[in-house]
Amino acid sequence: MNPDIVETVNVAREVAWLPWAVQYFFLIGLSYGAFLVSLPGLVFRREGWLGISRLALLAALVCGLTAPVALLADLHQPGRFWHFYAYFTPSSWMSWGAFFIPVYLTGLILYAWLAFRPLLARHADEGGKLAGLARRLAYGGHESRNALVAAALLAFVGAALVALYTGVEVMLVRARPLWHTPLLPLQFFVTALAGGIGLALLFNRFLPGHGDAQATRRMASALAATQFGALVVGAVWLALGLSGLSPTHAEALAQVAPSANWQVSAIWAVAATVVTLAIAWRRPGSGLLIGLLALHSAWMMRWTIFIGGQEVPKTGAGYYSYQLSLGPEGLMGIVGTAGLWIFLFVALTTLLPLDRLGRADGAGA
Amino acid sequence: MKDPGSSAACASRRSFLRGIPVITAAAALAPAPALAADGKHHWAMLVDARKCIGCQACTVSCIQENAVPEGSFRTIVSTYSVKLTDADQPAGTYQLPRLCNHCDQPPCIPVCPVGATFKREDGIVVVDGDRCVGCAYCVQACPYDARFINHATNKADKCTFCAHRVDAGLLPACVETCVGGARIFGDLNDPDGELRRRLTAAKDELKVLKPELGTEPRVFYVGLDPRFQGKVEGQGTLWQPRKAHG
Amino acid sequence: MKIERRELIAAGGLAAFAAGFSQTLGRMVSGLVGDEPKAHNIHGRSAEPEFSVDPATGELHPNPKQQVSYTGCLGCTTQCGVRLRIDKASGKVIRVAGNPYSPLSTEPQLPMKASVRESLVALSRYQDKGLAGRSTACGRGNAAMDQMNSPFRVLTPLKRVGPRNSGQWQPIPFEQLVRELVDGGDLFGEGHVEGFGALRELSAPIDAAAPQLGPKVNQVAVWTSVNDGREAFARRFWNQAYGTLNFIGHGSYCGGAYRSGSGALFGDLKKMPHAKPDLANAEFVIFIGTAPGNAGNPFKRTGTLLAKGRTEGRLEYVVVDPVLTNADNRAAGERGRWVPIRPGTDGALVMGMMRWMFENGRVNTAYLANPNVAAAEAAGEPSFTNASWLVITEKGHPREGRFLRGSDIGMPIAEADKYQDADPYFVLGADGGPVPAATATGAAPLEAGGATVTAGDRTVVVKTSFELLRESALKATLAEYAEICGVPEAVITGLADEFTRHGRKASAVAHGGMMAGNGFYNAYSVVTLNALIGNLNWKGGFVVNGGGFKDAAAGPRYDLESFPGAIKPKGTPLGRNVPYEKSAEFAQRKAEGKPYPARDAWFPNAPGLGTEWFPAMLRGYPYGLKALVLWSANPVYGIPGVRPLVEEALRDTKKLPLIVSVDPLINESNAFADYIVPDSLMYESWGWTAPWNGVPTKATTARWPVVEPKAAKTTDAPDGQAIGMETFFIALAKAMNLPGFGPDGLADMDGNRFPLERPEHWYLRGGANIAFAGKAPVGDATDDDLALSGVERLRPLLEATLKEDEWRKVAFVYTRGGRYQPAKEAQDEANAEWQTNRFGKALWLWNDNVGGAKNSLTGKRFSGCATWQPPAFADGTPMREVHREADWPLLAVSYKSALQNSYSIATRITSLHPDNPVIVHPADAERLGLATGDLARVSTPGGDATCRVIVHEGVMRGVLAFEHGYGHRELGARAHRIGDMRQPERRDLAAGVCLNDLGLVDPTRSGEAVWVDAVAGTSVRNGLPAKLVKI
Ligand SMILES: Nc1nc2c(c(=O)[nH]1)N[C@H]1C(S)=C(S)[C@@H](COP(=O)(O)OP(=O)(O)OC[C@H]3O[C@@H](n4cnc5c(=O)[nH]c(N)nc54)[C@H](O)[C@@H]3O)O[C@H]1N2
Ligand SMILES: Nc1nc2c(c(=O)[nH]1)N[C@H]1C(S)=C(S)[C@@H](COP(=O)(O)OP(=O)(O)OC[C@H]3O[C@@H](n4cnc5c(=O)[nH]c(N)nc54)[C@H](O)[C@@H]3O)O[C@H]1N2
Ligand code: SF4
Ligand code: SF4
Ligand code: SF4
Ligand code: SF4
Ligand code: SF4
Ligand SMILES: [Mo]
Repeated sequence: MNPDIVETVNVAREVAWLPWAVQYFFLIGLSYGAFLVSLPGLVFRREGWLGISRLALLAALVCGLTAPVALLADLHQPGRFWHFYAYFTPSSWMSWGAFFIPVYLTGLILYAWLAFRPLLARHADEGGKLAGLARRLAYGGHESRNALVAAALLAFVGAALVALYTGVEVMLVRARPLWHTPLLPLQFFVTALAGGIGLALLFNRFLPGHGDAQATRRMASALAATQFGALVVGAVWLALGLSGLSPTHAEALAQVAPSANWQVSAIWAVAATVVTLAIAWRRPGSGLLIGLLALHSAWMMRWTIFIGGQEVPKTGAGYYSYQLSLGPEGLMGIVGTAGLWIFLFVALTTLLPLDRLGRADGAGA
Repeated sequence: MKDPGSSAACASRRSFLRGIPVITAAAALAPAPALAADGKHHWAMLVDARKCIGCQACTVSCIQENAVPEGSFRTIVSTYSVKLTDADQPAGTYQLPRLCNHCDQPPCIPVCPVGATFKREDGIVVVDGDRCVGCAYCVQACPYDARFINHATNKADKCTFCAHRVDAGLLPACVETCVGGARIFGDLNDPDGELRRRLTAAKDELKVLKPELGTEPRVFYVGLDPRFQGKVEGQGTLWQPRKAHG
Repeated sequence: MKIERRELIAAGGLAAFAAGFSQTLGRMVSGLVGDEPKAHNIHGRSAEPEFSVDPATGELHPNPKQQVSYTGCLGCTTQCGVRLRIDKASGKVIRVAGNPYSPLSTEPQLPMKASVRESLVALSRYQDKGLAGRSTACGRGNAAMDQMNSPFRVLTPLKRVGPRNSGQWQPIPFEQLVRELVDGGDLFGEGHVEGFGALRELSAPIDAAAPQLGPKVNQVAVWTSVNDGREAFARRFWNQAYGTLNFIGHGSYCGGAYRSGSGALFGDLKKMPHAKPDLANAEFVIFIGTAPGNAGNPFKRTGTLLAKGRTEGRLEYVVVDPVLTNADNRAAGERGRWVPIRPGTDGALVMGMMRWMFENGRVNTAYLANPNVAAAEAAGEPSFTNASWLVITEKGHPREGRFLRGSDIGMPIAEADKYQDADPYFVLGADGGPVPAATATGAAPLEAGGATVTAGDRTVVVKTSFELLRESALKATLAEYAEICGVPEAVITGLADEFTRHGRKASAVAHGGMMAGNGFYNAYSVVTLNALIGNLNWKGGFVVNGGGFKDAAAGPRYDLESFPGAIKPKGTPLGRNVPYEKSAEFAQRKAEGKPYPARDAWFPNAPGLGTEWFPAMLRGYPYGLKALVLWSANPVYGIPGVRPLVEEALRDTKKLPLIVSVDPLINESNAFADYIVPDSLMYESWGWTAPWNGVPTKATTARWPVVEPKAAKTTDAPDGQAIGMETFFIALAKAMNLPGFGPDGLADMDGNRFPLERPEHWYLRGGANIAFAGKAPVGDATDDDLALSGVERLRPLLEATLKEDEWRKVAFVYTRGGRYQPAKEAQDEANAEWQTNRFGKALWLWNDNVGGAKNSLTGKRFSGCATWQPPAFADGTPMREVHREADWPLLAVSYKSALQNSYSIATRITSLHPDNPVIVHPADAERLGLATGDLARVSTPGGDATCRVIVHEGVMRGVLAFEHGYGHRELGARAHRIGDMRQPERRDLAAGVCLNDLGLVDPTRSGEAVWVDAVAGTSVRNGLPAKLVKI
């Protein structure tokens, strides 16, 4: 900040991408992150992965179904969502995104259905809650390996596209140096994966006997890897900024460096990542803690990038200060998406109780 | 009364007022836009910062003319107190009118997912309110903070160069009522229009905001200090938005 | 159990989701059913254009849904001619811009002969006319329309409920209002209150022992603001018909000190003539305590000309000011300069400049030597001064400090004419003896060199005004002057040098910055600079106002000046702006052998003094009031120190039995009223206004109800009219059957009587006087003019009220929004370098009304010419001797907001700048540990307040700068209860601080009055001793 210039008259611009957007990017990230975790057990049939993969798939499903709702809410004209399909605009990544999301979700839902059919059937046989519904959903409950792989493939393509567009869409905004970095998609991906793992770990923790210790350890090391990755990316960003090798990074750094809030968030983020890494590495057994930490980092990162990023004026001096409103534009938005998430979770786990998913017996594999 | 013309005294005179360097130093000139071959209009604005008195008539007239909701602005005259180290006075005032630049390479347009915002043939960048989904992507993409989501309409909003007036053969509200005469509006393609004449006259000092972005603004400035050409490095204003909507 | 919990959780989740998503859902629905008002897909909610103009042919096509009319703005005292755009269906104002015929909004203005149609085309893109003929309204002028539909308007007569200032009101019918106010009675259950009827006692004296005070009717006083074109009507009622002497405006707390200083130079301390730089042609202007383009009157015209001048490279200017404002513009930095100065020290700066000018032969002595107008014009000068006139300087001589007059040297002068115009002034003749100044031909000596003349039985020493001024300038050295004002010696001499290098195209002017504890002499010094270079009446120099065409004149069509039974009020004005030596108190004290000090200060050389009113009326010195009428004035907000001093007393109905306000809003002053009568607001009003100054050509702006007045209607007439100042006063006149109003209230020039029973009876006939004034009357309005300007609506009134040969001419004036002399007539036909409107009397380097007067608290004489003296209290005690720097290290000043005025807070302009952080210099901030955005406690000997600070170099070190127009307690900042309706809560309108709440009382006046300038009696808002602490 240069005290030689003092703004005496100017006005603030308010945040235009609201907490809804943060929720969307968070949930869709968790979803494809968790989806990836579901693959080893369910598609590649890796030894000892099955339970955790099923849990991950559930996570992917719950988040995947919640995310688009948050996205819709971030539109100021939600009733016009169909315009996305009526007026396809190739120059806009957001426009493409509108097509990628359905691809991913169709794949994911199919994949999940095929993966869970046998479990649904068993749920029905054992006369679990809403057995009737379970039976109808199970639709025979057969396994169809090829279909499953095909569905998984579709979902994978969708996930890749979603991961790509969510990153690039933001990265392309040159007006915000902080966003305008090729590293951003990477950061989104790494933290998303970490979040996915974290969520799976969390589910795992709620299994009787805190789930499969083996799995926990395996996940922990995977998580450690993501955190390491995150640190590397962060380091590169900083290096580019400090060295001035890349003007945008330098500019971004210059914009946020003076701000106390930003200094705090930066330190916080690094600390959280390092701690997660350390614990995941040293005490891989502590699934709950690192799981929560990973989720928290994934969310914090997006909040800081989106809300914090919009607090940086593009022309004026200083910073705009965002106050989280209590209404739908703010807190209620966050609570609302959480509410939907919880509802879906409860609903699904009524038919597919966690312990049944987590049981690492051969069933369904 | 003695003859005051004595050279010694003249020297003292120079040192009295003219000694002060203007804070606008030479900097990347704006490419003086070429005349279009076809005789079509290409609307543009010249802002002569030397004439601005910071009265905000432009800002308020725009609000009234275009029903801009409380807390939002299509134009604003940022005003600064600048410490001077190279002048005889400790500080000076700098007034900088800001509005949509109606860029010829507008980053706000390609990002729109539904093609709702576009540049008219006459150069005016507008939003089609019937199509806009209010995703605010364009708001993020504009490097000049010129766009916002209008809370009355829930659509992207911005300066339209008062297209509704221009189409009716009138001047934009902010131009019509500019007390200092700092805002000059006209047709780039009219070789002997006032705008062209002024642009040519001032061509050596013409500047635009953030030229490095290649947005090719069609709002040009005379007396634009390089320190204010991009994001201003300074102490931010104490202004806080007033709760305007729920 | 477990299951239930799951369901609960699920339900909770669903509920939370529903709540969060509700808005989205709502938007989806509204989006689908499209219930939002339909807007154009590109232009959105933007207003339809008022008309369109074919860019090729210039043909105009009006929009039948809208009305475009010319009238006046009241967004500040500049009162520009503006253009309104009104939606016919709703009657709402859509937007306000400038009137191209008005020089206050357009430079150069469109000639009157241009038709309304042409005037509208002149604003369009057609041939870029709109750029060349740009006609503007400023930010405030654009925002002011918000007042029209403000929820804070008073729309019916209100009567207070509970004690004064409790914010509760009862709406009452108009008849009840008039009845109660005329008859009086036990109006509030607090005992009997005398009504206007009983209070109109024209013969019985206020005090038999002091007949000079005048009749009891003077105990009814009327306080207004600025002449908004309706003052003549109000004065006709209160002065001429009702009969009170006490009717006052805001001058003494506006820029009164400057006006008085100017009045001293222009030789009239009551009317206080003043001049302005001819910005359209000037080469160099020094603004000392006025901020062109930031404030100033005319605000817009000054800003426009300043911007033009500095950009085109003709004009260079310097702004001497403790505060950096929008008067500075770095983009044109080489043409303007800000010189920071210590508050209240301008006299030192200017006397320093004068010293240098005297010592370096930069005073235009050739010009000064002309003793009268004939000699001057013969020498090619459009003005002259009294520099060569002789002043009696004999110590102890009874007329010491007075000019030598014929009667002094034994010329036969009738007693009545003694010291009047018939009693000549003198200059030294060739023979060294005195010759009458008026008859002297050619230059007269400026140096009397200790000459003596025989006055009566003795010889007395005389000096010229010139010598006395020079002595005054040489009192201190340049170094001393520089030390005092904090402006380096080199800058002082640089200013003097530059100032004297542009021939007559330089000038120096001041205004609000003179409102300090020595304002009169600071101002007298600044204006005297102009006399020393002889720039008065020169093109590009110091020029006087063109003035207006008079409505309330004796003709040419109607006599609106006098009427049978009109009263000539007499007595001592409440503000004591008359010589103490003529008072009963003086006679009595003299008899007791101790004429001085008087009980309190008197101001013989001041105009009416609102600053003195509250202390006077509430102490009963010189006498108390029975009723106060506040008409659109806000002294409690506007006068430094008044609130803390009188707040309590104002609540006390014993001290002041009746307070009646006429005002469309509730401000900090009429919040104390017993009754509030709604008045018309802005564009609802009639009126004839003239520029305050700064327009060299004649100009009168027409105000007329272009918008239907919102206030409740009167019920006395069948076709009830909106309640307002006029209808209220007319009703009072009727109830008390006062002369000058009623069925034959006024007359034309042939003596035929006409009614004065409705506002238009007055204003339209005033319009006839304006339309017919001067060599030739204006033309006739065409039907097209009437249609395009909305004046069609007035047509029935015009035809009904005026004569056949009058109405189209008056209509012509309304269609153009006023009568305006063509811009090119600013300069004299015969001499293009001289102004057409010239000030013809002498400029007084020495003013013997001041120099001959005595301070009523000490009996000491005042200086009769420009001089430096430090800010002081009434008895001459320097402020710093009472409030020492050790205790009050800082000086607080006030500067006008570039955006706000004192009552614009509840408009959209406020959203650009919601409050007024106090500006602190970085050096002081560092010492106090303050940073931008911090909260601090500011205190003065008059009070303290919490403020936010902004720290930058745009203020003189040691100074705290307060932007005026914030820190409101009313005008929306407090929600009043009216009947059972409550106004909206808008705490944000109370943001910031008002320096006046920290104003000082005068300790040398036993703390009973606020601090005012000892000569001008004007309020002190600049240079208040202060301290600041972080909280
Ligand atoms: N500290 C400090 N004090 C100052 C000043 C300063 O710069 N600093 N400025 C001084 C100056 S220059 C002046 S002139 C005085 C002004 O002081 P005043 O002339 O006493 O009062 P104003 O604040 O002009 O308010 C006039 C009132 O008229 C009413 N009003 C507003 N609009 C309309 C309208 O359209 N029609 C009618 N009928 N009434 C209306 C409102 O109630 C408003 O409060 O204040 C002085 N006080
Ligand atoms: N924007 C705006 N314009 C207005 C008005 C408004 O309210 N707002 N009001 C109108 C009215 S009523 C009037 S009277 C005029 C007044 O117009 P101005 O007289 O130009 O305005 P002020 O702010 O009263 O005083 C001018 C300057 O004096 C400076 N000053 C303070 N103390 C000192 C001092 O000791 N010495 C010197 N040299 N300068 C000092 C202040 O910082 C201020 O910038 O403006 C009119 N125009
Ligand atoms: S200024 Fe912003 S909104 Fe205007 S055209 Fe350029 S990028 Fe688009
Ligand atoms: S807000 Fe409207 S105009 Fe802007 S990008 Fe989204 S849809 Fe396009
Ligand atoms: S051109 Fe019209 S819309 Fe644009 S800033 Fe000016 S007034 Fe506002
Ligand atoms: S109206 Fe003109 S002079 Fe006034 S602030 Fe706007 S640009 Fe500047
Ligand atoms: S200067 Fe502005 S506020 Fe004052 S009268 Fe003129 S337009 Fe209205
Ligand atoms: Mo004033």
